[in-house]
Amino acid sequence: MKVAVGDEIPEWDMPSVRAERMRTMAAILRDPNPVHWDRRVPAKLGYGDHTINQGPLGLSYMVNMLHAWAGPTSIRRIVMRFPMAVLDGDHIIARGRVTAIREHAGERLADCDIWLHRPGTENPLEGTATVVIGD
Amino acid sequence: MTQSGIPPESEIRALVGHEFPGGDYTIAHWENFLLTECTGAEPMPDDLAHPVALFHMPILGARTSIGEMFALGQAESDFSIGIESYDWEIHRPLREELTYKVTGRITEADRRQDSARTFDRIQFQFDLHDPDGAHAARTTITWTYGRSSR
Repeated sequence: MKVAVGDEIPEWDMPSVRAERMRTMAAILRDPNPVHWDRRVPAKLGYGDHTINQGPLGLSYMVNMLHAWAGPTSIRRIVMRFPMAVLDGDHIIARGRVTAIREHAGERLADCDIWLHRPGTENPLEGTATVVIGD
Repeated sequence: MTQSGIPPESEIRALVGHEFPGGDYTIAHWENFLLTECTGAEPMPDDLAHPVALFHMPILGARTSIGEMFALGQAESDFSIGIESYDWEIHRPLREELTYKVTGRITEADRRQDSARTFDRIQFQFDLHDPDGAHAARTTITWTYGRSSR
C-alpha cells in the first residue's frame, strides 16, 4: 500500500443517518437515554423532530472509512471527540488525512487526522487514528 | 447532593480507583451482524467483529451498565451527560464468538468550570484480554456530567 504524508483518505459517505439504526443500537447497548429513540425528548432540548445518534455510531463511520482504505484489521487506535450532535436525516461524510508515517513493533503505521463532515455545519466529530499500512 | 443540587466535589474525586466487578463477554454472531448493519457497513469478513462493539462490550463485560455509569457520577439527568472523547486501542482484531475477559475502573474524576458551565469529568477505562491472555484492546470513555445548579 503506497501511502505518503498529506494523502487524503478516500471519504466514506452516509447520505442519511437513519433513526431505526439508533433504536437497534440502543437495544443492543442497553442504552437507556431516550434522546436516541424518543423524538419527543430531543425536541424539548431544541433539536427539532430528530433523534440524536449514539457517539459510538458516529465513531463507526470513521472506522468504516479506515477499513475501506486499509483493511478490516488495520486500526490500532482511534480517538474521537464529539463537538456536535449527529441527528437522524443528516448527510455525513467521514474524511481523513495522513499526518505521519512511522514504524512501531515491526509494523508500518500511518497516523491520521480524521473528522466527520456535515455540509453546512462545523464538524460534528474530530479525532485521530493510527492504522497499519503494511509494506 | 448538597442543597445547591450539586454533589460535593469530594464525592466525585473519591470515584477514582473504583473498580467494576469484571467478567467476560462474547460477541454473538447475530449481535455483530446487527451492530455492523447499524454502522452502514457490509458484514465483516470471516469471524471478525466490527470495532463498534468496543463501546458496549467492555461496559457489559465489566458487569456495569450505561445507567450505572450515569448514576456513579450522580448525573442530574440522561441529558446532562456529554461525551468528551472515546479512545479505542486495538492490539488484536476483535472476533465474534470468542470470550474476552473484561476489567474496568474509573481512572480520573474531577470538577471543572469553563466560561459557560460547571461540570464533572469522569474517565472510565476498560481492558479486554482474549482467551490466550493477550491484551486485545483498551477503551477509555471520558464523559462530562453537567451541573445546572450552582
